Amino acid sequence: MSLKNKRSSVKKSVSFSDDNTMTRNNLKKHVDHDNPPVYVRRTTLTVPWHIFLLLYYYIYISNSYDTSRLLYLLIPLQITYLVFQFNKSTVYGKKLLKIKLPLLLTSLCATVLLTIPTTMIIILFGAPLTEKLTETWLLSLHLCFLAYPAVYQVFNGDFKVGLWKRYFIMIVVGAWISCIVIPLDWDRHWQTWPIPVVVGGYFGALVGYSIGAFI
Amino acid sequence: MLKQIITLLLAQFAAIFIFCCGFFPQKNVLKGTADFTLESSVQSESKPVFDKLVLIVIDALRSDFVFEESISNFKFVHSLINDGEAWGFTAYSNPPTVTLPRLKGITTGSTPNFLDAILNVAEDDLSSNLKEQDSWLKQFVRQGKKIRFFGDDTWLKLFPVDFFQEYEGTNSFFVSDFEQVDLNVTRHLPHQLETQNEWDGLILHYLGLDHIGHKGGSRSVFMPSKHKEMDSVIKEIYENVDEDTLVCIMGDHGMNDVGNHGGSSPGETSSALVMISKKLKRFQPPLHQRGLHLPINMELQGRETNYDYLTKIQQVDFVPTLATLFNIPIPKNNVGIIIPDFLQLLENKIAAIKVEDNFNQLASILGRTPGVKNESIGQLFEQMRDLQEILTKSATNYKYNILAIGFGMLIIIAAIALWYGISIMQLSNSGLLTISLSLILGFAMFGSSFVEEEHQIWWWIITGTLLLSQLCLRKAYKLHFICLVCTRLIRGWNNSGQKYTYNNTIFELLKANPGIQWYLNLLTIFAVGMRGTMRDRLSFVLSFSLCALCGSYKVSWAIVNREYVPFWIQDIAFKSCLFFTEDQSNGVEVFNKALVPMAQFFFKYFIVCLAIKISASKMGVTKVNLFSMFSILLMLQSPSANIPIFLVFEALRSALSRLFKDHYNSNSYLISLSSLILQYFTFFQFGGTNSIASIDLSNAYNGVPENYNIYLVGFMMFVSNFAPTIYWSLYKSTISSSEDHKWILYAEQKIPFLIFNCIVGVFLLIACYIFRFHLFVWSVFSPKLCYFASWNIFMNIIIECGLEPIVRAFGT
Repeated sequence: MSLKNKRSSVKKSVSFSDDNTMTRNNLKKHVDHDNPPVYVRRTTLTVPWHIFLLLYYYIYISNSYDTSRLLYLLIPLQITYLVFQFNKSTVYGKKLLKIKLPLLLTSLCATVLLTIPTTMIIILFGAPLTEKLTETWLLSLHLCFLAYPAVYQVFNGDFKVGLWKRYFIMIVVGAWISCIVIPLDWDRHWQTWPIPVVVGGYFGALVGYSIGAFI
Repeated sequence: MLKQIITLLLAQFAAIFIFCCGFFPQKNVLKGTADFTLESSVQSESKPVFDKLVLIVIDALRSDFVFEESISNFKFVHSLINDGEAWGFTAYSNPPTVTLPRLKGITTGSTPNFLDAILNVAEDDLSSNLKEQDSWLKQFVRQGKKIRFFGDDTWLKLFPVDFFQEYEGTNSFFVSDFEQVDLNVTRHLPHQLETQNEWDGLILHYLGLDHIGHKGGSRSVFMPSKHKEMDSVIKEIYENVDEDTLVCIMGDHGMNDVGNHGGSSPGETSSALVMISKKLKRFQPPLHQRGLHLPINMELQGRETNYDYLTKIQQVDFVPTLATLFNIPIPKNNVGIIIPDFLQLLENKIAAIKVEDNFNQLASILGRTPGVKNESIGQLFEQMRDLQEILTKSATNYKYNILAIGFGMLIIIAAIALWYGISIMQLSNSGLLTISLSLILGFAMFGSSFVEEEHQIWWWIITGTLLLSQLCLRKAYKLHFICLVCTRLIRGWNNSGQKYTYNNTIFELLKANPGIQWYLNLLTIFAVGMRGTMRDRLSFVLSFSLCALCGSYKVSWAIVNREYVPFWIQDIAFKSCLFFTEDQSNGVEVFNKALVPMAQFFFKYFIVCLAIKISASKMGVTKVNLFSMFSILLMLQSPSANIPIFLVFEALRSALSRLFKDHYNSNSYLISLSSLILQYFTFFQFGGTNSIASIDLSNAYNGVPENYNIYLVGFMMFVSNFAPTIYWSLYKSTISSSEDHKWILYAEQKIPFLIFNCIVGVFLLIACYIFRFHLFVWSVFSPKLCYFASWNIFMNIIIECGLEPIVRAFGT
């Protein structure tokens, strides 16, 4: 859900540099050295094991489904993932770029700021407006931080967004599919808002980061 | 092409109808009248505990109306319970919680049959008669006791009138009457109390409380005074009867917070039962009543308000208890168990016999040979509870051959429709979308919670399709955003389903701010009703007068129901009311009297306008807009706080038609799919659910005088409940198409509906068959089947094949 907005908000800033998606096909034909092509290598290195572990922890080990505690675990792990896995699989032209600390912090702030439009989008997608706003905001924090490596790369790659949309979209799709358990009458604790959607977003991210480079 | 499609649609409906005939058969019941099964001479010689019975049925008397501090005004009953002269219970009434099946339960002790719920609406039916069935009334009559009855005429439909020595029925269907309906019952009371030695049983059935609930919900402003009125009736009776008279006060069912009933939510199934007699003071009150001071404040006790007060019993338990106390045989089909607390009123020996008798009677329904092996009363009660559980679950005998015929027919028709549809649509995007949509909904039919919460699925589908469409068309993000905002507003308008209720729905907010509501209502009526009529003077005048009439009718209706309306609007409405009534006196009375003639005039005028417009269009004078005219009719039939939703509809409709014209090349299948999704989505978001409880009757009586016609009321009920659905079904015709292909497009747009109905129908029938012994079959799957069948006949046949061609033929 969150991402639809991200896309459009990012797009506005892109308008000057043209949304020229870098695909592997036109990659070899012209290598522009001022604007080197950006792509994610097809490697198992991008598989986000930490999200898998977090999901396992959240579903089986923590029996309280504490959404905010999960967030404290998610943020550092996502940064580590970005530094040691995702960034290392991302190629700019022919070289890897090193992690830039200022950019890391800027994108962290941007991610936090993104939660505001994301919350609004989630509400548009059916979350209650007057109740459970904190929970909705927590959900949007989760979704945004799941997208954090992609957000960093958007900054890093000078807003060449074409490549990164798929990561956003996968998270959205995961969150959307997971909504199906909400109406069930099983009366489980984990059916309360926003737990199913958080889990769905994680699954979406798990799939997205694993196979994002292949689609 | 059109002919084939319509034939398939009709055949599909026929198949569903046949299946329904087998699925809702009459319940098989044991014939004959019961006798004492054990030591009948001892039993018949023993003296009954009570001689006289006064039964006061207060329709929809939920348990908290009597026991809860924050809502109850039954002060006298509270004092009686506190003195120990009355014992209170919360009685679980088996769904369907509507009057007729519940009365069957209260009198025969049997569990209801789903067909009764529908027959409850179809008043004229005679098949639900209890003349042959055993009931405590029949047993009373057999013993030569004289019964008098005043109240809801459902009783007179259930029982032959020669059961009653004296009777008068009141009509239960005219729900806007809160007072007269009860005064008509109470006015008999003084005479009956004077001539007490002439009767043995007096039954009073009050309907006012139920009517208030239907109109204003469980916390309506009319509730407290109604409680007090009922309380004073009870007081009057109590003070005039002797020790040997048992006074029972009971609700036949409860209601939910909106005031509807029929389903199985705690509010609907928890009714109150109070047994009053001066004699009771000498005995120990039930365990849960000891040491409690009424009224009870549930919140203070930190308990959840799920309507459980005092002792919980099954409502059918009333029947054997009554039979025991009056020393009559327990009716044959009874599945109730004697309330144990009342056994202390009997001699020990007799009490033991009565319990055993009850046990034998329950066992005999199951076809088991009665035989009790010297077991204690406690053990017997335990066994009886097990028996009761089995008995309440086993519902009806299905006619399997009819089920098979209906199902087989539908399978064949579905196969033909699928093959035919795909051969026309090809496996294009729209074809795949149609099939996947049908499959999603089809599989959802297997989950009882998905049926209950169907609106969630439609919302899920809407967000999904908007997302998909956005991903395909990146440039049209503005249109998609508008669509998303509109659908979100519609979703926020009403609660639907059983699981989640939000307090701050737009409906409630508008109710709380009637000023804003009425400005919005008038804006909506004129904006939607006048659309497309600005070009020529004739349609402008016609539409304007129709809008004005509709507006003043809705205003008058609101004033009669004591809602607040801004003063100047009231003033205008008052002046327009004076056209319809000769009564010149001031006040609400004028509105009240003008209401029926005004609505009747509206309908007549509407038909005249329709005729003028159609003939004008035929003569080629002007292009007419029938769509906006029908919108006025739909707004008239909507609850007043739902009217502004049509403004959102209008915005959504224009955004969608731009989307389809500019980006989808007016693809008729996609338009048809969007219409299908929005029909269902708005039906649920308008307040509808898949439960009998949410059928809204308040607009079914517009323009109907007291001697109403059941078919007319039924039709209006359909229109008012399906108002948004009709809007979105006619919407297809507003996306303009070239004149030549009009009918080809019309036929093409039927295909997704046909495929959807066939696939979902097949899955639904399978679900109904698999779950035919499931606990929820009467509360979830059967109502869904009813909704599905009525959707088929009303929307797919009457509206889509009857009304839509008219709107299309004369342009929009």
